[in-house]
Amino acid sequence: MSSLLSLFVRELGYALFQPHGKGKFIALTEAPVWLRDLWPSLPAPSIDLSEKSAFLENFLDEARAFWDSGRGGECRSETWIESTPEGREVPLQAVALHLGAKPVLALHSPDVQFHEQVRTLQTARNSLLDHERLLREIQKKEILLHCIVHDLSQPLSVMHVALDCLTEEGLDAKTKKILELGKSASDQQESMIREVLQMFSADLRVTLDADRSATSAPDLRKSADSVLTSLGPAFETKKVRLTLDSSESANGNWLVRGEESRLRRIFSNLLENALRYSPPGSRVSITLEDQGNSCQVNVDDQGPGLPPDLRPTQIFGLFSKGKEGSGKAGLGMYFCRITVERWGGSIGCTSLPEKGARFWFRLPRATVASTEHRKRIAPSRPPAPALQRAIPLEQGAVRILLADDQEDIRLLTTHQLEWHGHKVTAVANGKEALDAASHGEFDVVLLDEQMPIVGGVETARKIREACGKSAKHPCLIALTGNSTDEDRERLLSEGFDFVLAKPFRWSALNDLLGFSTSKKATTAAPSLPRQTQTPPAATLPEGLLERVGGDEKLLRQMIRTFLKDTPKRISSLQQQIRHKNSHEVASLAHAIHGSAAIFGAPEAGVLARQLQNLGRDSDFPRAAQVYVLLKEEIAKLEQNLRGYLRRERSFVLRTLRKARRVAPKRSRQ
Amino acid sequence: MLGSFAVGKTSLVRRYVESIYSDKYQTTVGVKIMKKVAQSHDHEVTLVLWDIYGEDDFQKMRWTSFNGASGFLLVADGTRRATFDKAVELEQKSREEVGQLPFVFVINKNDLVDEWEFDSSIEDQIATKGWTTLRSSAKTGENVDQAFSLLLGKMMD
Repeated sequence: MSSLLSLFVRELGYALFQPHGKGKFIALTEAPVWLRDLWPSLPAPSIDLSEKSAFLENFLDEARAFWDSGRGGECRSETWIESTPEGREVPLQAVALHLGAKPVLALHSPDVQFHEQVRTLQTARNSLLDHERLLREIQKKEILLHCIVHDLSQPLSVMHVALDCLTEEGLDAKTKKILELGKSASDQQESMIREVLQMFSADLRVTLDADRSATSAPDLRKSADSVLTSLGPAFETKKVRLTLDSSESANGNWLVRGEESRLRRIFSNLLENALRYSPPGSRVSITLEDQGNSCQVNVDDQGPGLPPDLRPTQIFGLFSKGKEGSGKAGLGMYFCRITVERWGGSIGCTSLPEKGARFWFRLPRATVASTEHRKRIAPSRPPAPALQRAIPLEQGAVRILLADDQEDIRLLTTHQLEWHGHKVTAVANGKEALDAASHGEFDVVLLDEQMPIVGGVETARKIREACGKSAKHPCLIALTGNSTDEDRERLLSEGFDFVLAKPFRWSALNDLLGFSTSKKATTAAPSLPRQTQTPPAATLPEGLLERVGGDEKLLRQMIRTFLKDTPKRISSLQQQIRHKNSHEVASLAHAIHGSAAIFGAPEAGVLARQLQNLGRDSDFPRAAQVYVLLKEEIAKLEQNLRGYLRRERSFVLRTLRKARRVAPKRSRQ
Repeated sequence: MLGSFAVGKTSLVRRYVESIYSDKYQTTVGVKIMKKVAQSHDHEVTLVLWDIYGEDDFQKMRWTSFNGASGFLLVADGTRRATFDKAVELEQKSREEVGQLPFVFVINKNDLVDEWEFDSSIEDQIATKGWTTLRSSAKTGENVDQAFSLLLGKMMD
């Protein structure tokens, strides 16, 4: 090579070598600076590059194969790092190629590009690590949240109900005062717990909302496939067959609400659990079922079945282990439960009839389009039943089915409801509740959300299914320790008519259902027939008067407040949608939803809830459309309530006039 | 050295060869090669340690670097569960690419006990796979020499 060309190549930063005998090379060009720094003895007439670098020794095998093949193009190594005698790191790349049919090895130090690449990758990987750390923190908070809910709230429920029961026992004034102090303190504690929960809930909302978006929705089938592949060898080793089947009815759409990595962990935990109890030669099968708005996964094994010493709720509890102590920390099943429930799903397990156990979980389908989203937040089920149709108020007694696995809560609540003259059937789980519901007729069903065998959500769904599309289903009320706004929304969308946060008090149930407040109140009914005291029922929104316990004065006050506040809210709502203020839209819609529920306006309620969700999703164009519909519904409600006030006023005036006509006669007597 | 990114492969090598450790995470790009003379069965053996960049979505392994390898340390980070899945994947891939090689599975960062994520379900999986496993800490030096010695022993057998 001419000296000029050699200098040119050197200036480009390359060093060219030609193979020369066994493992030796001859330098074709002047050595660039980096090469002289790295190997000061170069260039020598004949060099053994393999001795200089272990990486090159390896690469030269590849290079020789390339030269021998006579192929065109080049054979390029990946980047490797060598150190100078002073310890400075030099990135290198080697390229084997043919120049005029002669084999040539080019060495190059891609210094600038290399450092740019390092900077980019360092930033990307630091971000990934931060992301992982953040997810772990969120998960810790989720666990803490559940610990607070269950460990602190449950005893508080008992305290509340016990104190409420004592209140009814005809105590003297001094004892009542002491009791009130106790109730006030427990109220304070409850309020503090709720504040903590709301704080965590707000913290988690960003992630949870992300979980619901269509773009991040995981595919149940793909997740199952992926876990099957990774756990396949473990099953093979233990000689347990692992199969996956899915129903065809889902048309290949298995997108569910959730997050991919955590969904895979749920699969992984359930399958590892199944493997642990599966004898060699047996089978573990996963089946995916399309259930319309949700998808169910069953993991069936042929092991010994569920341990008799553990209830299903215990199996999914924190630090729960089987009696045989199979080396688990007791977090796997707990993680599955809190994650599935957090995504609005349910989870459970049962022994199979012949042998083995079934662990299952159900997740709502992901919202894949805004129309689908609308369906989710405005389910096409009958609106909540008008309570006066379900509750025979004139008889005073309401038929109540209460299902709660906590015995103390069950006993105290039953005692309290019966004391108020209602007829109570109390059961310990969802299965018993379903049995009772199939054999008897109930006006109100109170279901604890988390119960063994069949959970509250599942029980409510089955009761609704059994009632068909008839609006005569009993009033379904969820009792839940998960009492954030998010949880309430979830339970309402699952088919409950109302949600009562645990610890719940008699007054809350009373407010919700419009029960008379005590036996005395019921027996001390007005002496005049009811219809002579109230304006014509047709002028009232359905069930409204009963919902406020027949207290007309209170009702009038509530209507006036509504008529005063709601136009302001509606006007403000329009402004906030225009200003794209997500939080305010959701908050105002939430308030209007509450009013609509109180005044028995289901259409307005559904629209307000849609608006609330659209606000949270920052879907302002659609929110503007729903707003127009909501405004119309609210206007109808306002008109109706104004009409009632006018009619009621004229009714009172008529009654007064009648009274005046009667009074003079009396005075004459 | 095989494993996901940021599991501590470079730190393990530096602790073993140079007896130094740095808390600052510096990602490895490309391949770094270091040497260490070790004793095995009364023989002096020169270990040529190929510190290969951690695989992730940004950088995929080129298995040509593995040609001629006598064995490997498979490294995971005990505080990140996902690094176990990556280790499983890499071990399987290594068998497909270069055949069965002796290896030792090292669960690094054993000093971070409070953040430990490798629960008993992972331990069960490791036991099922029959992998030779050590918990190590490049930071404290715990089991670092032992991991390399164990690998050396397996390679010399």
